[in-house]
Amino acid sequence: MLTWILGLGGVVAAVPVQASDDHGAQASFAVRAQHLRLFGNEVVHDGVLVVENGKVRYAGDAKRAGEIGHDVIEHDGWLSAGLVACRSYSGTRGDTLEGKRPLTAEARIADVVALDHVDFERALAAGITTMVIAPSAANVVSGATAVVKTHGASFVSREAHLALSFSDSALRFNRYPTSYMAALGELENALARPSGVWKRVADGKLPVLLDAGSRDEIQRAVRFAKDHKLQGALSRAPWAGELADDVKQSGLAVIAGPFDVGTAERSLASVVALAKAGVPLAFGVDAPWNSEEGLRLSAAMCMRAGLDGRTAWESLTSTAAAVAGAGTRVGKLVSGYDADFVLWSGDPLDLTSRVVAVYVDGQRAFGGAE
Amino acid sequence: MLAIISLMTLGLHSGSTSMFHSASEDQATARSVLVRSEKLYVTPKRVIEGGALLIQDGVIVQIGRGLEAPEGARVIEGRVVCPGFIDAWSSFALEENAFEDDRVGRATRASDALDSYVDPRFEQQILGAGVTAYRVQPSAGARAGGLGAVVRLHPGKRADQSTLLADCCLAGGIGLARDGRAVDVFDRVGEIDRWIGALSDGQAYLEEQNEYRHELEEWQKKIAEKDKELDEAFKKAKKDREKAQTEAKDKGTEFKEKEYKEDKKPKAPRFDEDKAELARVASGELPLVLEVHRALEIRSLLEGTKRFTRLRLAIAGGTDALECAEELKARRIPVIVWPQPTVGGRPEEARVKGMGLAAALESAGVEVILGSGAAAGIGSRDLPLLAALAVGHGMQSEAALAAITTRPARMFDVSDKVGSLEVGRQADVVVFSGEPFAATTQVRFVISGGDLVVEGR
Repeated sequence: MLTWILGLGGVVAAVPVQASDDHGAQASFAVRAQHLRLFGNEVVHDGVLVVENGKVRYAGDAKRAGEIGHDVIEHDGWLSAGLVACRSYSGTRGDTLEGKRPLTAEARIADVVALDHVDFERALAAGITTMVIAPSAANVVSGATAVVKTHGASFVSREAHLALSFSDSALRFNRYPTSYMAALGELENALARPSGVWKRVADGKLPVLLDAGSRDEIQRAVRFAKDHKLQGALSRAPWAGELADDVKQSGLAVIAGPFDVGTAERSLASVVALAKAGVPLAFGVDAPWNSEEGLRLSAAMCMRAGLDGRTAWESLTSTAAAVAGAGTRVGKLVSGYDADFVLWSGDPLDLTSRVVAVYVDGQRAFGGAE
Repeated sequence: MLAIISLMTLGLHSGSTSMFHSASEDQATARSVLVRSEKLYVTPKRVIEGGALLIQDGVIVQIGRGLEAPEGARVIEGRVVCPGFIDAWSSFALEENAFEDDRVGRATRASDALDSYVDPRFEQQILGAGVTAYRVQPSAGARAGGLGAVVRLHPGKRADQSTLLADCCLAGGIGLARDGRAVDVFDRVGEIDRWIGALSDGQAYLEEQNEYRHELEEWQKKIAEKDKELDEAFKKAKKDREKAQTEAKDKGTEFKEKEYKEDKKPKAPRFDEDKAELARVASGELPLVLEVHRALEIRSLLEGTKRFTRLRLAIAGGTDALECAEELKARRIPVIVWPQPTVGGRPEEARVKGMGLAAALESAGVEVILGSGAAAGIGSRDLPLLAALAVGHGMQSEAALAAITTRPARMFDVSDKVGSLEVGRQADVVVFSGEPFAATTQVRFVISGGDLVVEGR
């Protein structure tokens, strides 16, 4: 008989309950938390999450849960869905760019991601359970992104988006193309006679990730997406909010950030404007070059600039999952979804809250009982 | 203006004294502000539930419970009231080249490089986050260092007018990359040796100066004695001289004036501006802030500085400081922690960094001070978020609050002006809608240098 002890700094009360010897891979159990942060901005006091075979069976009011009939972990804090980071380079060891050729549509970042890399442990420690791994944006067409779980060495998708770049970082003086015109010409060409990956893009089966920096690059990317009826998201696009109406019309989402100490107010105001216009929002984390905890920091910085709590929370979870193309599997604590969740010392939107334990597919991946 | 006009009136009509008084009183009432709260942090440790603060003419005149608002006073309210925050590591308003110039000397003053025409919107953004003062230093990683300054954010006043202390520390760096190139290990060791050597020079200079002062004093005393002696013996001496002169004339010998052997005035040692500042550091008058990251270098620095018993050292950055935590704790050497980008380092190195480091050092008993890191001048705006992150890594919120108020104030010798709320000082106050570090909390009012500079959102 073992005891679930999640007592990190006395935050979690230990309640002796029956548990199997194999902590991590328990088929079914429940977590009862003081606060349960659900989809949207809904917070349930005294909530319970029931996990069965790595999936959520129930999440909500403990009183309405009826007879849980499982081993129960008591958590004297908050519980929420695991966070989803929409752009990262974790596990790639920097091998994200083909340096000689500007158009590598068939390249897949999934082929180089090391799922057991220590980068993912740091992501877990920051409460991140799902990540979009992207190739570098320094090529006009750099290849397919992948979606990974940060624990359990599994891909959610090996081909989530085709990453295109409209920014000047894809233009270089020593190789073709050296101009926006030529770069755009190549993209138009690819869609004129689509084959392979481009066929899936043209058919709307594969969304695109459009990297853009300056306002004119954002405009060009939005126009391109509109012209070809592409789905997907603008990536980076620090001032997309100044063109919020255009972006909204295009149906594209925006992967903003990561925002670090000293980010210009203009970039933060852009996110607030996008939210007001109803553009779906998610945050990039750009780890390991940036800290994984930059994900929550980005949201907190936007909140301080005026972003509402609901949008901030959704952009860390459900909207991010949708942008990753995994919106029916992760990002929400809803029956049938993957049991990816985090136990926090307080509200996850508060930077003062600590990650106490992280579970991926119902398995404890970080913290908790040792 | 009003005062000048009143004074003129006073000069013209002797009977207008009362008028002058009433004018000034009106002004005082108009300039009274009562700040009410549910929770008033006098210091991070001293909290008054339901505390209030009365400010008159920009000066805190009363702190306590149940304060009455004087007639005509402005009343502002919020859930939590704190002293204004202090960013211990900022580059705000510092002229860009000054920040990057690593050839500065020890006597270079950051206060000389403050840009008085910095965009006021930036200042407003930083104030809007509750940060009312910051420390800057010339150059981020100069080998030789320079004098840092503590400056208050005070709209409408130039940075030089609102400088709280123009020489709050001597600051420099050890083993930092320069011009984008890493410094090799031998040069890094050399840099530590140079700092220790410099401190020795400072110590020697101090001793030389003290010796000179002592000798000068002795000399002056001796001269005074001689003067007195001469004065008293003057008549006798005159008589003796006349007598000797007559005698000499009579005898036909040559008269010899009595020679006074004059004491040589001690010579002042040559003034050296760099050594003069180092002397102040060696004597503990000025704190020394050194940015140093690697365990090896921190350890060598601690070893080398051991014999300077009055030195007030602070480590800045301190990526590996945790490995030297015991000695830092024993010698009460604080560490100024700021968020460090992973860029440049090997990402695989899973070191405790940034605000995680702050929490870890604090729990190891080392005093932690937080800074925004000077990467961008506007970074000071994010200081409260960093404090929140530190709490998120396990730092007590009381300690995190101290790390951006009382601790930097004490470290940089401005605790008589900022960092806590005290009767008699100019008000630097932040009024929050909730707990200072919570995500949903908003800054409602900020008073800096006694003026209400941010009003409700």
